[in-house]
Amino acid sequence: MRKKYINIIFIGIIILVSLAFVKKMTTPVYIDIPKNWKKPNYDFSKNPLTQEGFELGRALFYDPILSRDSTISCASCHLQATGFAHVDHELSHGIDGKIGKRNAMALVNLAWSKSFMWDGGVNHLDMQPLNPIENHDEMDETLENVVQKLQKSTKYKALFLAAFGSSKVTGQLTLKALSQFELLLVSSNSKYDKVMRNEMQFTEKEQNGYTLFKQNCASCHTEPLFTNGTFENNGLSLDTTLNDYGRIKITNNENDYLKFKVPTLRNVQFTFPYMHDGRFKTLNEVVNHYNNIQKTKNLATHLMQPMHLSDNERVDLVLFIKTLTDKEFLFDTRFNYPKN
Amino acid sequence: MSSKQLLCFFLMLSFFQIGFTQEKGDSLVLPFNLKFDNSKLLSHKTYISKNQDTLSIDLFRFYVSNIEIQFSDKSIFKPANSYHLIAMDDPNSLQVSICKNENKIISKISFSIGIDSTTNVSGALSGDLDPTKGMYWAWQSGYINMKIEGKSSSCLTRKNEFQFHIGGYLYPYYAIRKIVLYPNKEQFEIAVDLGILFSNLKLSETNSIMIPSKIAMDIANFSQSMFTIE
Repeated sequence: MRKKYINIIFIGIIILVSLAFVKKMTTPVYIDIPKNWKKPNYDFSKNPLTQEGFELGRALFYDPILSRDSTISCASCHLQATGFAHVDHELSHGIDGKIGKRNAMALVNLAWSKSFMWDGGVNHLDMQPLNPIENHDEMDETLENVVQKLQKSTKYKALFLAAFGSSKVTGQLTLKALSQFELLLVSSNSKYDKVMRNEMQFTEKEQNGYTLFKQNCASCHTEPLFTNGTFENNGLSLDTTLNDYGRIKITNNENDYLKFKVPTLRNVQFTFPYMHDGRFKTLNEVVNHYNNIQKTKNLATHLMQPMHLSDNERVDLVLFIKTLTDKEFLFDTRFNYPKN
Repeated sequence: MSSKQLLCFFLMLSFFQIGFTQEKGDSLVLPFNLKFDNSKLLSHKTYISKNQDTLSIDLFRFYVSNIEIQFSDKSIFKPANSYHLIAMDDPNSLQVSICKNENKIISKISFSIGIDSTTNVSGALSGDLDPTKGMYWAWQSGYINMKIEGKSSSCLTRKNEFQFHIGGYLYPYYAIRKIVLYPNKEQFEIAVDLGILFSNLKLSETNSIMIPSKIAMDIANFSQSMFTIE
């Protein structure tokens, strides 16, 4: 009888020990889908969010190990306090002091995006980091090499084990972890959002700006994401020092000449300078551009008529646009540089 | 610990061992044989194409996917999620394990060269599809279905290099191509003859293809005739 008990205990211990090796527990996290927003485009079933995956992604996002000489991290050009854009830089800077071809985009509400980059060349959030990692003017590294460097790091082996149950680093898991961090960058607590939720009220001028916005801007900068995700030619002349023809390079379709992604306007107060090449320094310059737009080849149909707003109306429009600033998001400590 | 318990423990261990050793020997393998005309394909060896281009191959990789095997008893086997990267520099990759070997005779094999459009938009994947394999475009999403790189004195390019990165998952530049082969003997190999591809090219004119395009589709078409049973 006694022997039987010992047997049972022995087998029980073996099962427990082996279970410990089978799966380390992770803590699931979920993104808040704000009321009245559509379903995210990202398929979370293929990359379930966990606290551990998010933390690994955050460590990678802030780590220059992703670049050839460990000088450039994602955060070099995507700073939280400025809506994860590259403030004050027309064109983003990369490795060896090189200057890229485009203005870094704001990283926000990416779970709802269907395509990425100014020309939409990237079809999935997971694959986006390959672009800056392998670009010779940005990080000038290969994902293969990044994986080797991470595999040698005790810190990352532990982080991968915690997040994915294996300390073996792969390209897939590196990219998925970065996605997990980026997917949680949801901004939905601006004054605009609070007004929509009846928690706050616009001033009279902001309200007037909102009305003008809906009449003049919302067909492309559609609420609540403030982008319709399409590509448009917004009448900017070609910068012949860059010769960036936009989406046509991806599609080879003549109709896509000088078309660029319609960017979100969330936190746009802090993501200056503006446009794909950062040619406008202030929101006033942007509004002036649309106010007196010239007809050019391929110009978006919605832009055919200049806005012709009065001085006061333009002030109100900018005041409304500033209600899209979400301080809670810009100072959310979860998205800060990781402490350890 | 009693001897019974010890015995039990070692028995369990040995089961694991058997599980591991069984895998390779007993599986049905599709052997690929990379060639250039009548000789074996070796890196840095010099070949002369039918178009009189003197050339050497530094890198040759391609994806085989969507494999379907039909046996002489009309039964069909279609492995799920079969994506295999065949690489000149990795001899193991030339032996593609398909399923358990039941000693049945294969009458028809079909597979695709390249990656289907759904997989191309499915984000970060693992194994042979991991983007660290050098078969994924960074600036414009999508798998490279076939990569051929080498040197030829016919190429007036930097270091006389040529590169063909063939891919694309959107019409009209959808680069995946289907291959159907009918083995007429029990022991066979799938020959992949780069000589046939280069007999369709003039390296002085065509030597760098890095994007989905019309010329990439032409090469994808030519590449279909490289695959034969021998």
